[in-house]
Amino acid sequence: MNNEATTPTNIFSTVTKYLRVYRHYLIACGICIVLSNALMLLIPYVTKIVFDLLERQGTDKERFNWVLILVGLAVLSGIFRFLTRRTVIWMSRCVEYDLRGEIFAHLLRLSPSYYDKSRTGDIMARMTNDLEAVRMMIGPGIMHFTSTVVTFVVAMSFMIYLSPRLTLYSLGPMILFPLVANRVGNMVHRRAMRIQDHFSAITASVQENITGIRVVKAYRQEENEVEHFRGLSRKYFDLNMDMARLYAAMVPLLFMLASLLILTALYFGGLEVMSGSVPLGTLVAFFAYLSMLIWPAIALGWVVSLYQRGKASLERINKVLATEPEIVNGASGTYKEKMKGRIEFRDLNFQYNGTRVLHHINLVIEPGRSVGLVGRTGSGKTTLVSLLARLYPVERGQLFIDGVDINDWDIPTLRRQIGFATQEPFLFSESIADNIRFGVGDASDEIVREAAATAALSKDVENFTDGFETVVGERGITLSGGQKQRTAIARAILTDPAVLVLDDATSAVDTETEDEINRRISDVLKGRTSIIISHRVSSVKNTDLILYLEDGRIVEQGSHEELIVLGGRYHDLHRSQLLAAQLESL
Amino acid sequence: MSAGEKYHEEEVLGKAYDARLMKRLLTYIRPYRRAVAAAVVLMLIGSVFQISFAFFTQIAIDDYIAAGDQPGLMRLALMFLLAVALGFAASYAQLYITAWLGQKVLHDIRMQVFSHLQKLRLSYFDRNPVGRLVTRVTSDVNVLNEMFSSGVVTVIGDLFMLALIVAALFYYNWRLALITFLVLPLLVGATFLFRAKVRKVYREVRTRIARLNAFVQEHIGGMKLVQLFVREKRTCEKFDKINQDLKAVHHRGIYYYAVFFPAVEIISALSLALLLYYGGAKINEATLTFGELVAFIHLVERFYRPIRDLSEKYNILQASMASSERIFALLDTEPGKTEGGSVDDFKGRISFENVWFAYNDEEWVLRDVSFTVEPGEKVAIVGATGAGKTSLMSLLYRFYDYQKGAIKIDGLELPKWSQQALRSHLGLVLQDVFVFTGDFAGNVRLRDETISDETVRQALRRVGFDRFLKDHPDGIHTVVQERGATLSTGQKQLLSFARALAFDPDVLILDEATSSVDTETELLIQKALDELLKDRTSIVIAHRLSTIEKADKIIVLHHGEVRQIGKHTDLVTKPGIYRTLYEMQYQKPFSQDKATVRR
Repeated sequence: MNNEATTPTNIFSTVTKYLRVYRHYLIACGICIVLSNALMLLIPYVTKIVFDLLERQGTDKERFNWVLILVGLAVLSGIFRFLTRRTVIWMSRCVEYDLRGEIFAHLLRLSPSYYDKSRTGDIMARMTNDLEAVRMMIGPGIMHFTSTVVTFVVAMSFMIYLSPRLTLYSLGPMILFPLVANRVGNMVHRRAMRIQDHFSAITASVQENITGIRVVKAYRQEENEVEHFRGLSRKYFDLNMDMARLYAAMVPLLFMLASLLILTALYFGGLEVMSGSVPLGTLVAFFAYLSMLIWPAIALGWVVSLYQRGKASLERINKVLATEPEIVNGASGTYKEKMKGRIEFRDLNFQYNGTRVLHHINLVIEPGRSVGLVGRTGSGKTTLVSLLARLYPVERGQLFIDGVDINDWDIPTLRRQIGFATQEPFLFSESIADNIRFGVGDASDEIVREAAATAALSKDVENFTDGFETVVGERGITLSGGQKQRTAIARAILTDPAVLVLDDATSAVDTETEDEINRRISDVLKGRTSIIISHRVSSVKNTDLILYLEDGRIVEQGSHEELIVLGGRYHDLHRSQLLAAQLESL
Repeated sequence: MSAGEKYHEEEVLGKAYDARLMKRLLTYIRPYRRAVAAAVVLMLIGSVFQISFAFFTQIAIDDYIAAGDQPGLMRLALMFLLAVALGFAASYAQLYITAWLGQKVLHDIRMQVFSHLQKLRLSYFDRNPVGRLVTRVTSDVNVLNEMFSSGVVTVIGDLFMLALIVAALFYYNWRLALITFLVLPLLVGATFLFRAKVRKVYREVRTRIARLNAFVQEHIGGMKLVQLFVREKRTCEKFDKINQDLKAVHHRGIYYYAVFFPAVEIISALSLALLLYYGGAKINEATLTFGELVAFIHLVERFYRPIRDLSEKYNILQASMASSERIFALLDTEPGKTEGGSVDDFKGRISFENVWFAYNDEEWVLRDVSFTVEPGEKVAIVGATGAGKTSLMSLLYRFYDYQKGAIKIDGLELPKWSQQALRSHLGLVLQDVFVFTGDFAGNVRLRDETISDETVRQALRRVGFDRFLKDHPDGIHTVVQERGATLSTGQKQLLSFARALAFDPDVLILDEATSSVDTETELLIQKALDELLKDRTSIVIAHRLSTIEKADKIIVLHHGEVRQIGKHTDLVTKPGIYRTLYEMQYQKPFSQDKATVRR
């Protein structure tokens, strides 16, 4: 994607702006983490007191009181732990929601050319996997990180308080922890990238195999394909084992370091106890604090990987957010008047992806006139009409509507007054009524029915169980191509546009129904400018002006009769369609 | 195919645990049971070493520190060191074997799914979008990783571990052990409650995520429309509602986790309190030593860890069930029949005898089609769009099976042929040329390594493709861009001709491309076609006049029926479908009488 702008200097600004909004959660979470961990860490200290009691033969009553305090501490700590999750994880879900909303809102602004270039799966991945990785970084990530730091600080303070010397002995192995975690983490990251790349290669290969399955079967390549895939799968296995060799070492290594920690403390602490400078209870409590450090130390490695993954994902999300929409209301986009429907192409040239698609289009359509566009697939008909709605950028001075340069129109005003019905209509999985009122959200049922009647759709809808409320798409009924096209026509009519574009909108409709639509729609077309694209001569022959497009150029134009007399391409098209009709009856 | 596939697949949630699926999943582990056993044993050894420090501490405190035995403490420290090293080795080996096991099983499943996919009928591919099938082979299989690698082994290991700890506790002091476990019912209750709640929330979350994803996916697809109809604001509002729904259920889920984890900690503190109080009494009575109490505390702490990990394992299980259900649905799809016989001396006589065919039910695409193709004959099939030409080809190649009548090759009916043998005699050139990633050579020989570079070169030369190779220094090993983006339509066609030549079939079935090419390329293609059809039985869905004129026999299909058979010169002089078609496509009335054209 070449129009992906450079990412902002601080990649975290995307989330920090939300964190600022939720700072009260962050503060509350910080307090809760400190309190819950501090309270939890008091427990070994209470244990020490109990042991001291036992050594000097304290009473059962005293011990009972301390044990009660211990349980009380645990309950209090538990409450704060609950509040920790309730604040920070809660907040992470809020940020996830906000960020998802921001991405989607941004997607709505991006121009069609962006979607022509990007794969849906890729955009989806950013909105799902990447977003989740970012959430993990700010939710559990922050929680475990803070928790780890607090535990370290508090446990360490207690240890220093209990015995500065013992603390010193155990510090030695401790500094290895972050070093090992970081080093191994980097190695893991590199291997993970390699695995991810190979996974993409496998996906691409399977995709190709399935798309080309006819060729595979035709040339009996099934066995060879399986062998080839075995190679890929085998390599994936090897890469994963590469990772496993490292990964398998990670946790045991940290655990080994932790054990060494205890070992040093045990040996030197034991010597201290023997010399009488440290009481036994202190040593026991010291161990308790030491073992409390082990898991946070190991968790640190996990937090680091959360951070790394989250950062990479955030970068991918930032790329989407940094993509500038190609078409925006410019400073001059202020024209908001009612459209009369005069269209003028002034020597328009249009280029897409480096190839010239339209050449020297000169055309004036007066308000209320109808124009028919014919020509082979790929001759530029659809592109020509897409420009009217400014779906693609048009240079200044080449296209005017009501005498106003298209770039000076306010985009919503412009688009609202042009109605489109396309050959492969896209329907949303909503009710038929909602699909028809797509352009005018508050259109009454009455108006919806009327539009459906004009598009000759009423009879079909009557046969559906829920009538207009029948849901279409994957979770509802499947409409035939013709029904979809007629729904799209109704949808376009309902917006009451000044310019109506029917882009091969009846290609899947049978001739009889098409005649019906043509009859009904003629009333609707009165007073509107209309552009009708079709492969069928019958659909365009009654228009005021017919254009024949070839390779992005208008090669013939005139009325039906004029073009027939001309005896050119339009004439040939007409003749072969008459023959085809004749053939049908044979 | 299960009915569920029709719906958005992510909304289909398997049960949290399905014994039938689990049993089937476990069969994949069977070949590696020795590895499983080794991993479990190693895990136990590792765990024993891991908890051994509790014993070492106990012995150190009771026997050496309390007694002031300095050399003894040193000896113990060295033993401890040894135990640490062994523990590391055991854990490392266990984790490595576990990973190996998981990857091995994944490789097996992946291969099985992919191989099965190659055997499925074409109608299966028509019904299922490419993306869905790719997911089956890739992501769905990967989801099972955790279950096979960590899942199975850790569950067994954890169970052993718990048993071991319980045994150790009872060994030290059975009364104290019983007291400690007084809180166990609390723990079990909390766990069950948590699981029930989380299961419900998990389902709800999955459904809402699926809804959100479906919405986003749909609107990315229909973005142009949203913008054309200036629906951005309303779409955004709708999305916000779905997004909020998801946030709400996530927030609900937080409560369960937020309550469960602290609850486990409180319960474990409770058992510590019990230990200290009653254990203290025992020490006072001198029936328990300090060291033993310390060891007890460590062991109890270790006891709670697997229980805390439970929620994670539960999620793994649930995800595995959903994925495996989808994978098994694919594996359970009956593949097309491939076995059968052959004929000793292949001649290539093809006969259609009253063949009827429909893709669904009774919507006949071919009706009562009969004709024969003699060995060496060149047959052209013509007809308007939708006449059934392509279906006829697909039947011959057994991409689909006909419902009535018979198609025979050298007298043997198609279903009795082995697919391998049949397809080794027939060659197929499709209208849409599929270009694979790789080089020119790879696109000619595909993955058949028995076809030499020389054969490839010769094939390319015979179709006249060599002229395009001159510009490329790497010759036949020039890499083609994805989907042949840099190749022209004509070049792609020539490439597919070369492919057919390299495989040198006895009978060639060819669907001529309709797309127009420039005159120069057209001449090239015609020459290449002549080369391709030379000395071969061939059936061509013909669009080129030159091909039709050279055919020994023309079969005219109309609305799925054979309406005319004959040679061009005969057919074109008679009024009828062929002549109309001919005039339609080649734009010149055959006879000078224009009356027929003017209706």
